[in-house]
Amino acid sequence: MNPDDIKYHRDHSWVRVEGKKATIGITDYAQQQLGDIVYVDLPEVETEADADSELSEIESTKATSPILSPVSGVVGEVNEDLADSPEIINEDPYGNGWLMVLDMSDPSELNDLMSKSEYEAYLKEVEEK
Amino acid sequence: MAAKLTIIGSGPGGYVAAIRAAQQGTQVTIIEDDEVGGTCLNRGCIPTKTLIASAEALESTRRAADFGIEIPGEVGYNHAKILDRKNKVVETQVKGIRSLFRSWDIRLIEGRGVLHSAEAVRIVQKDGTTLDVKSDRVIIATGSRPARLPLFPFDGETVITSNEAVQLTSIPKSICIVGAGVIGCEFAFIYRTLGSDVTMVEMLPRVLSTEDEEMSGLIAREMKKAKIKIHAGVKIEAVEKTSDGIVRSRLSDGKEVSSEMVLVSIGRAMNTEEIGLEGAGVKKGKRGEIAVNEKMETSVPGIYAIGDVTGTVMLAHVASHQGLVAVENALGGDAAMDYAVIPSGIFTMPEVGSVGLREHEAVEKGIAVNVGRFPFRGLAKAHAMGSITGMAKVISDHTTDKVLGVHICGPHATDLVHEGALAISTGTTARELGRMIHAHPTLAEAVMEAAEDTHGMAIYVPRPSS
Repeated sequence: MNPDDIKYHRDHSWVRVEGKKATIGITDYAQQQLGDIVYVDLPEVETEADADSELSEIESTKATSPILSPVSGVVGEVNEDLADSPEIINEDPYGNGWLMVLDMSDPSELNDLMSKSEYEAYLKEVEEK
Repeated sequence: MAAKLTIIGSGPGGYVAAIRAAQQGTQVTIIEDDEVGGTCLNRGCIPTKTLIASAEALESTRRAADFGIEIPGEVGYNHAKILDRKNKVVETQVKGIRSLFRSWDIRLIEGRGVLHSAEAVRIVQKDGTTLDVKSDRVIIATGSRPARLPLFPFDGETVITSNEAVQLTSIPKSICIVGAGVIGCEFAFIYRTLGSDVTMVEMLPRVLSTEDEEMSGLIAREMKKAKIKIHAGVKIEAVEKTSDGIVRSRLSDGKEVSSEMVLVSIGRAMNTEEIGLEGAGVKKGKRGEIAVNEKMETSVPGIYAIGDVTGTVMLAHVASHQGLVAVENALGGDAAMDYAVIPSGIFTMPEVGSVGLREHEAVEKGIAVNVGRFPFRGLAKAHAMGSITGMAKVISDHTTDKVLGVHICGPHATDLVHEGALAISTGTTARELGRMIHAHPTLAEAVMEAAEDTHGMAIYVPRPSS
């Protein structure tokens, strides 16, 4: 399920890069753990985000979870469709369930992220704990 | 011979004092220059809770499909009927108080009372004639009114206070609410639910700044969900009414808010003017309030003051308790007001109920505390009801384990908080609160779990990951 063309963060978010723009979302594992998503608290456009700091909060019927930003940058765009239909994240976490697009300030941070195979190995460790 | 007591003002302070005094055989005269029941009954607590009930009914109906209920067509409302219901509820309560006065032989005089001394009050009645009432003791309970700053061009139609807000005959398409305290926040949810585009402007860094920070945060989140815009940490610099029916409010950060209406809810001013305080020698405090001690005595023996006019804690239930203390002292007893445990209820959507220490206060005062939290979405009952937002929070003393504060945001929070008030006032520990059996499935289990969580022992909280 996990796509090849993106990089993964240990906190179960993903990044798809196009030039200096980074589209961010949460992984299939994250949406499964969360359960039915009822609300996504998205930052305002132009908010500055730091890698590993809280960027968003997702409310599901089970819990409220912070989402850490995988990279640093400035919020350029947020997914407005999620306001009325947050369940899109459950249905299509890597496609229409994208959260926002950041203009990256330090693309070298991408090197700290995991590839698909690294993430899948990581998931095995997480699930075995 | 029975003592004679005159009370100026018949709000929740005055009418409670009157009834308590009459119960003990006192001859009571109560003076009211507007309507019996004061602000609480006519312009405050009761009207707003009635409007909120209509807003909640609308909201439930909109969500009816979630519960398998099918409503053909669109769900709407008739504002005239909402207002009518509010007026009927208020009228019934007012009649109820008047009837209580009659049953206890409390003489009600309608007019403006001016204090002459502890023994005499002069009243200018509604028909213009004056009446002098002699008594042994006087209690001043004249209350408060919405504070107005010259900055705002009040006209009662486009730039209004809460007094007009409870009587609006139609909901504006857009409204700017200045002041995100309890009153502003309650109106924000009422208007938003009824379809208005709501923007809030607050000088302090957060909404509901008197509450625990997490409670403010939860309400701010719910406002964001409801698409209520918030400008916090900014002041209004100028307000301009334009010819096209729009009011432009310029903020201190350079932004501008345009709206059909502006509601100013920045606080309340005490009604101390033209009631004879200076002549009678009653001293005022720094903020213009009538200065009282814990016995509700003013600087003049025989004259007491209670409620909002004393500027102590401006809540109806505090006014009522101050009334009980004042009457006990006026009749020769020895009572003192205790402000240690005062629960408060905020009727936002969801509600907030709070009592005791806030977490940031514990930090400021250097009190070592344990904090327990439990989200309503961890409770089966909340899911069954379809109301899962919010949480219960218990703050206890780290050394003694005594409960110091309870803060709840969520369904029925304003009722649930009273278990916390009882815990604090009786010196109950978090362990005792958590070990008491709470019926399942009820919302009260959230308080139990939050108390258990102060020791990391809540049942419905997953094991923390290392």
